[in-house]
Parts: sequence; structure tokens; C-alpha cells
Amino acid sequence: MKVRFWGVRGSLPVPGSSTVRYGGNTSCVEVLSDAGTRVIVDAGTGIRFLGKEIVREAQSAGKKIGSTYILISHTHWDHIQGLPFFSPLYNPEARLQIFARKRDDVRLRTVLAMQADTPYFPIPFHETRASIDFGELPDEATFPIAELNIATARLNHPYVATAYAISGDGCKVVYVSDTAPFEKILFGEEFIAKAPGADVELPIGDRNQLSAMRSSLVRLCEGADLVVYDTMFTDNDYKILPHFGHSRPMDAIDICREAGVSKLALFHHAPERSDDEVDAMLETARKLARTVAPNLTICAAYEGLQLPLGGSR
Amino acid sequence: MEITFWGVRGSIPSPGPGTVRYGGNTPCVSVTLAGGEPIMFDCGTGARNFGNALMSTPFGKGQGQMTVVLSHAQWDHIQGFPFFRPFYIPGNRFTVVGARSAAELQTVLEGQMAAQYFPVQTYRNMASAIELVGALDKDRIAIGTATLRACPILGGPPGAAGYRLQDGKKAIAYVGHGSPLSGTHAEIQELCRDVDLLIHECSFTPEDSSRYPTRQLSSLDQTLETAIGSGAKKLALVHYDQDYTDGEVDALVARARAAVTDRGSKLEVMGAAEGLILKV
Repeated sequence: MKVRFWGVRGSLPVPGSSTVRYGGNTSCVEVLSDAGTRVIVDAGTGIRFLGKEIVREAQSAGKKIGSTYILISHTHWDHIQGLPFFSPLYNPEARLQIFARKRDDVRLRTVLAMQADTPYFPIPFHETRASIDFGELPDEATFPIAELNIATARLNHPYVATAYAISGDGCKVVYVSDTAPFEKILFGEEFIAKAPGADVELPIGDRNQLSAMRSSLVRLCEGADLVVYDTMFTDNDYKILPHFGHSRPMDAIDICREAGVSKLALFHHAPERSDDEVDAMLETARKLARTVAPNLTICAAYEGLQLPLGGSR
Repeated sequence: MEITFWGVRGSIPSPGPGTVRYGGNTPCVSVTLAGGEPIMFDCGTGARNFGNALMSTPFGKGQGQMTVVLSHAQWDHIQGFPFFRPFYIPGNRFTVVGARSAAELQTVLEGQMAAQYFPVQTYRNMASAIELVGALDKDRIAIGTATLRACPILGGPPGAAGYRLQDGKKAIAYVGHGSPLSGTHAEIQELCRDVDLLIHECSFTPEDSSRYPTRQLSSLDQTLETAIGSGAKKLALVHYDQDYTDGEVDALVARARAAVTDRGSKLEVMGAAEGLILKV
């Protein structure tokens, strides 16, 4: 199994000279099994380049584009805004299966179609040429994709996000983005205008729910070869903006330590973070892990990073 | 008037080493009138950097007032809207002009800010005062000593308009999405009549344009047709195709200049880049 990063940024794409090394495209990660099954997690602007690669690959092999599976963590812009620019969408030979958490208020197809609707985009969703299926998932779903097994857990993020574990070829990768730590705030449907005061006590029901959510996530990550985690925030960011729904490296390290994870990739870098600042965050995270999680290897994901897992080629 | 370019890329932001010189942010151009009033044309991802720069001005203290003009509602022209920090500072006041009517503009912004797409859920949750005005609601909009006039573009994205900003004897025009020659081309050319500066969408070469007919974007030929015919003194190209590298934009600009010379026009052409500041 091989994992490749096509977009590692959170919130919105950030072009410019200070983001050239890590990359400015929004979230998109590709998981390719040894047998060639391709699962894409999230469709931020990075998916535009992956789409070109898929077309190029098929052309040079003289093959049809075939099946691609897309797992959507949640439908905030930075996780879906690349989809209208994903070239297989316009190829009649392509077959896409798009998965996301089932919601009571709106269908997944509607959410994605609206993005391509008038007056926002010139090519409406019903004029795309690929054959597209939608899979709406319950919380804690498990299901197969070809020879791979997928499992999910609920994350603590506004409007709710989903973590995905992808297992196969004797290894496991888990995508955990976006999420806040499992304390202070239980995120749901409502808009939270400001950070709760230091003296505000979380209701016991909320605390229990957060604790259960965290346990499920640790179970999902159990023994993973790689965990990709939303570590958008520095300690100081989190102090000011706990109501934005993102984690610090220390939160990711805690989960990985408890779950016995081998490798952690810092991911969903903040738009304002320069390449040098991501370097510094990585250095701080590694220093912390040396004492609390000595068996954990940490990297900061960048566009183009390829991580072979298990006995992969 | 002082004009600053914050985003000059079309369709989708294009980060990477190949776009560092011209920049990969989607359209946003700010104008400061002689009297100091600020105006923002389009709210692509370039607006994020503009907003951050404004935080050290009265906008950071909730004492700012600005007119925001949206040329049309395609993503690349509005996707910076939720990330413009002055919108979140109580006390700031904005007039947002765009679409055919205030109701249509409201639908556009509420669709973008809805809970499934953005945690703020509605633009009304932004703490500043935001008033919406349809581009065609009023004949002219007064901004300080200047007047803003819109001309609808037909045959392009629904609700698109070109804008002329006249301040005394000086004028600029902003055409964020060009008109097809078969559509309202003559009307847009008239809107831009003799302006000191025309900022006009120019996405690609005529050859590339013919490869992407569904995108309805302007080729170099179409842009020059409007610019030369209008008698504009200076033309700033914006909205380069997302796949164009800095070298390819250089070539596009060189080709534009050669074409202008060939046609015996005195039009001055420049390729706008992020950070470029012009005075009119």
C-alpha cells in the first residue's frame, strides 16, 4: 500500500513563495493498494492534480480510467472544492463512488451538485460524464472497497466530520481530519460564535459523549502504520480559537501513543503557516514525542510526499 | 486612484513553484480613491491577504467602511469572502454590490456560507454591518467623490457585470469576466470608453480558448478587441488560466503587446501580478 499527499492545507488554498515547499493546495490524500485499488480521501484543490495523473496513467497504459473511490471527511469547502476540477468527472469511462456521513438534513448528492450549480460554476453536476454513485454512511460504519476494508469514527468538528481507517495489504492508514480535541466543546450543528469562558463547565452528558468519541477514535487508530491528523493549531491558536474545531500536534501524539501507532503525519496546515513555521511545528512535535511517545515517528505532510506502507513496492 | 492587485488567477487558486511570480490567488483588486475611500473588486482568495493587510488600519479597530464589488458569482470571484477578516470585526461597515438584485446576491452568499460548507453558516453571523445592493438596482452608486456604474454582461455567467469607476476626470473599468463577442460586447466596450486603466479578464491564448469552449472565458483576441475598441489607455490582464506557469503568462503578455503594435494601437498592456500597485 502506498499513500501519496496531493493537498495538505486547511481552510483555503494559499499560493505564494512561503508555501512552496509544503504546498498550498487544500486537503487530498491518495491511498493506492498493491493491487491498484485507488481510494482518495477528500477532494480539496489537490485533487485537480491527482485527476490529471489518473488520466495520464490510463492513457500511457492504453487502459480505461476505471473505478475511483472518494471518501469525504466532511463537506466544508477545503475538503470538496477541487471536485469540479477533477478531470475523471468529465470522462464517460470513469466510475466514481463517493462516500460521506449520512445526514438527516441534506443528501450528499445535493451538497456536491450545488457546488457545480448556476451561478457558481459553468458546468452543472448533471452534465458530468462519469458514472457516479453516492454512499451515505452511518456513524461507525465498516464496509469493503475491493480488497480493502474501511472503518469510520465520528470526529469533533462543526457540522460533524468522519475519520476513515483503510486496511489492506497487511497494513492500515487512518485519516483524522478535521477534529478538535475531545474536551471543552462538543461540536454539533450549531454555530459557536466565541470561545467558552474558562469557568464554563461542560455538561456531564457532553463530557461522556466526547469521551466515548475519543475512545472510538483510539480504537480506529489501533496499531495503524500511519495516522494523518488535523494539527492545524499551535498551542496558542488553540487557546484563542478552541471553537474553530482543530487540534494541536500534542492531541494527535496522545491519540497515536494510546493506539500504538507507528507513524504520524501532521496535516491540514493553517493557511498562515509558512514553510519555516511548519518545520518549527514539526521540530516541537518531535521533541515532545521523544519523551511521551518514543516509538512514534512524526513527519509533516507535504504535497508530493509518498509513504510506502508495509511491504509495499 | 491607487490600484493594488491581490489575486490575478482564474478559475481555481494555483499554488506551486510555477506561479510564484504572477501569483496563484484568485481575483481581488483594491482601489483607494483620492479621498481615501477603499473599494474592493472581487473577493477571490487574494482577498484574504488584502483583509490581513487591513487589520493594521481602522478596519482592525472596527472603524472601516468599504464598498465591495463582485463582478459575478463564480467561485473564483467569491471564495475569499469567508476569509476576509474585516468582515468579522464589529463596527466595520460594508456595502456589497453584485448580481442582478440584492435578493439574488443574498442567495449567492447564503449558499456559500451554509452550514454544510462553512462553519459560520450565514453571512449575518459575521460581526460587521453588511448591506447588499444588486448591481442593477441603481443607475449609479456614489462612493466619495466617485461614481460606480455597472453594465450587465449577457452570454456569460448569469448576473455578471462589468464596472466603471469614475472619479473626476480619471476612470478605471473592471471586467472580471469578459463578454462574448456575440453578447454584450458593444455595451461593455462603451462602458470602458477612454478609461485610464482597463482591468480585463484574459484567461488564455486563442488556441487554448478553443480547447475549452464550455468555460466561456476570454481569449487574448477577445480581450484585445474590447480594449482597443474602447480607447482605453492602459490594459492590465488578469484571470490567467490555472495551468499557466509564470513563463506562459510572460508569453501571453508578450503576444498581447505584439498584437497591439501590429494593429497600430497605442494601448499599453501589462500582465498584472500579485502585489502590483498602479496609480491613475
